[in-house]
Amino acid sequence: MTRRGGLAPIAWLAVLLYALFLVYPLCRSLFLSFTDRNPLKADSTFVGLSNYLDMLDDPRLLATLRFTLLVVVAVTVVANVFGLAFALLLNRNTANYRVMRTLIFIPQVLSGVIVAFIWRSILTQNGLLNAALAQVDARPVAWLGSTDLATVSICAVVSWMTIAFATVVYSAALRTVPPELYEAARVDGAGALERFRAVTLPMIAPGMTINVVLCLITTFKLYDVIAVLTGGGPANTTQSTAYYLLEVAFTQNLFGYSSAIAMLLLALTAGIAYTVTFLLRKREARL
Amino acid sequence: MIRRLHTGFAWLATLLFCLPIYLALVNAFKDQRQILANPAAPPAPFTLGNLTRALQRPDLLVQAGLINSVVVTAASVLILVPLSSALSFYISERTPRVKAALLAMFALGLMVPPQVVLLPIVGLLQTVGLQHTYTGLILANVGGGYLSFAVFVYVGFLRGVPREVIEAARVDGAGDLRVWWQVVFPMVRPATATVAIFLGLWVWNDFLNPLFILGPLKGQTITTGVYLSVGTYSTDYGQLFGIMFLAAIIPVVGYLVSQREFIHGLMSGASK
Amino acid sequence: MPRTRRSVLLSAISTAALLAVAGCTPGESSNGGGTTLTFLTFETPALTAKFWDDSITDATKQLDGVTVKKIVAPTSDRNAYAKQLQASGQFPDVLASINPKDFLDAGLLQPFDQAWLDANFLQPNGNAINGKTYIPPTNSQILPMVFYNKDLFAKHNLTVPTTWAQFADVAAKLKAAGVTPIQLAGAEPWSASMPLVGLVSADVLGKNPNWIKDRYAGKVKFTDPDVVAAVTKQRNLVKAGAFGDGALGVNYADANKQFLDGKSGMYLMGSWFIGQITAAQAKSFGGFLLPTDDGKQIVPFNVGGTTSVNAKSANAAKAAEFAKAWSLSPNNLKTLIETDGAFPMLKTVKLEDFGATVTPVFTDCYKYVQENNTKVSSIGWVNNDDALPPGVADLFYALSQQLFTNDDVKAQLAALDTAWDKAAKK
Repeated sequence: MTRRGGLAPIAWLAVLLYALFLVYPLCRSLFLSFTDRNPLKADSTFVGLSNYLDMLDDPRLLATLRFTLLVVVAVTVVANVFGLAFALLLNRNTANYRVMRTLIFIPQVLSGVIVAFIWRSILTQNGLLNAALAQVDARPVAWLGSTDLATVSICAVVSWMTIAFATVVYSAALRTVPPELYEAARVDGAGALERFRAVTLPMIAPGMTINVVLCLITTFKLYDVIAVLTGGGPANTTQSTAYYLLEVAFTQNLFGYSSAIAMLLLALTAGIAYTVTFLLRKREARL
Repeated sequence: MIRRLHTGFAWLATLLFCLPIYLALVNAFKDQRQILANPAAPPAPFTLGNLTRALQRPDLLVQAGLINSVVVTAASVLILVPLSSALSFYISERTPRVKAALLAMFALGLMVPPQVVLLPIVGLLQTVGLQHTYTGLILANVGGGYLSFAVFVYVGFLRGVPREVIEAARVDGAGDLRVWWQVVFPMVRPATATVAIFLGLWVWNDFLNPLFILGPLKGQTITTGVYLSVGTYSTDYGQLFGIMFLAAIIPVVGYLVSQREFIHGLMSGASK
Repeated sequence: MPRTRRSVLLSAISTAALLAVAGCTPGESSNGGGTTLTFLTFETPALTAKFWDDSITDATKQLDGVTVKKIVAPTSDRNAYAKQLQASGQFPDVLASINPKDFLDAGLLQPFDQAWLDANFLQPNGNAINGKTYIPPTNSQILPMVFYNKDLFAKHNLTVPTTWAQFADVAAKLKAAGVTPIQLAGAEPWSASMPLVGLVSADVLGKNPNWIKDRYAGKVKFTDPDVVAAVTKQRNLVKAGAFGDGALGVNYADANKQFLDGKSGMYLMGSWFIGQITAAQAKSFGGFLLPTDDGKQIVPFNVGGTTSVNAKSANAAKAAEFAKAWSLSPNNLKTLIETDGAFPMLKTVKLEDFGATVTPVFTDCYKYVQENNTKVSSIGWVNNDDALPPGVADLFYALSQQLFTNDDVKAQLAALDTAWDKAAKK
């Protein structure tokens, strides 16, 4: 085993960096969540579980959790349904279809900031969509200005980015389905729907697991799209928990409390991601 | 006939989906009046005024931002690829228990939202005097959740690499470093493509880390620069789309050029 | 083939090494011995990038070897951005229009010397917190005023209301005529706060000018009947449709435009909006005070100012010099009078001496400042002892938006009480 030399130092250097920039900050956040740390005060004291108890009595936190879950569920469902539909629609190997598949992915190449700026200029009160509506003498619509529509707008924009990703993953997964399987199913007299259920679905199940889990994880972190598109408004109704915790830190100066919310967010993300992975893997095995 | 109908419908759906991109693209070459009169019209008459105005900003937002983004992205990816592939090879050579423990630790990095670790990272960089430096930002990129992603792609891919090849190289007297470099690294090329492309994209598009770590004084990446410079009340759409166009051109062209690798990478990733 | 790959790896490692050694602080400029100060600003339709650049040039003219690097807050919430910069170790040397109270516990701000304040300002202690001043009291604002469209009022036979009942009646008549009665810039909390600030200042502080001090002492609460009644007035306006559809989607720039384009009859905004009314438009617009139930005139008043100085700056002395020069620069104030509707509060220079061109709307509103009347703190906006505890002003602003969706006024005020107690204690 003397030959191992050389690789171990590199590997442990990586582990060290990871420990410094992920594990340590995580522990530090956990520690801060038990203090009343305020960046604008000199000292902080240990306050036990009081930050966690405060969370129980914070209607705004509850509202952000409700909003976050709504967006996560909506985006996951919409992105996977449309992503799979697009992938099936574009599942042909001619130049035409290759170009289409290339175009579909572009929203995912752009940063959330740019996507949100493009959509903001479309949806804002004096934006392009309302300008187009004015051409046909229709009244302007407050796409970002009424609480319900703003939530729908956020979901739509995030879905738009995510559909791009889901489509490409599903497209890739579809190409792993051997054509003979379809032929065999056809010979057995299976209809289109039956073929989809019996052949396609089991083969793309791993792709679905990846899509669903990545979609969950990325949507839970949602920040930049909200910052640009609505700034959390109107009336704070489009604040994600990830957005709210930074506001708690920088508007209310409550780093301790903000760290406690961060821990909650982490527990939620990890818990849901693990559960969903577990369930989907189990389902993959059954299929 | 049905085939043609299908293709027609597919194009319709694709173009509808890409409409916002079309709008951003054509309006980058129209003046404000043209944009508001008919946002969807093609750019005729055509103007480069938005782009030249964006490039002539006194704060050099576009030029400086692009350079910073290129440096940060290239350095992060160039360090992450060898580091994570070596680490992954090392991990996959360990006993099942050690391997499981290490992977569990790295799984954490996939879950952690950046907001959770952001402030402690800033504090850490301040302690070691690397706040507001590229080095600090690059280190944070290399040691953070991106490493986890790369490790999972590589470890997954290495499962498919036949043991015999590695053992054969060992019998020939090669040390682990050489086995990794000469045997493993070439074999995991598709994984490397996936890792490099995705990390490149994510680092380029990163928002919170550059915003907090670099700060406003030391130059921003293009992504955060755009956020900081386009004010809340800006209704100068020509200017806005001009900046967007210049900010997006590098990743989009990069994607179009590398898309073959990209799809291969995704396929290998998706089927794992 | 292996060679190229090796060179890639080598270059990666050497890049890393290089970066690590160099410490690499990009974009840092030094200017041979002089002092470079950082100045946090923010942009609005009136305070444009050009205004800030010109004002910096003007203020540095008299200072030797000082260059100023401008940092622009990404949104109008420069206060939160200042804290973000502080957390990442880039707290600027000079900061424009922040809430000093938020930063005092950490000792981040340096007070201005009293002799200089006494010598230069009409109300030298207008911005004092515990006897110390962190923003020079250069100008003042009425916050909010009710601006109205004279043409629309004439067209629908309306007169300027002097009591709350008349005000509600005017709103109802405009609504019936198909005009948005009250313009709201509801997209952002600060601008959406105007009706709430107006109502609480007039109805609550108008009766008890010491209400905020009493709130600090725990003698009064937001859930007291008088506050609930004042806030309920706004909720009732919302329910009556007085703000029009989608009011929360309209940002400040859009709201200005809609009001000036005659799409709405009245507009509650700080007196700085006067600067947005051009000379040509001035004959169509006027301003009045938000009426109270009994018609007593209450002026919600705020002594304004711009520059705060970072006490921990390595160049605090130079920063203070710059802050003073900026605040006394007649050119800057002239621009502020013209574009930001600022009512000047300098002892040495009278309004007419600035040579500023102002509209009749300005002179009419300025009378409220000069007249002997009841002035109260504009709640949530003043930066003196009546400033709300850190973070509470933001919650107060947001309450004005929440009133659009939440009918339970008392519960929302109770949440504000809880937040106040928590913030004031810590």
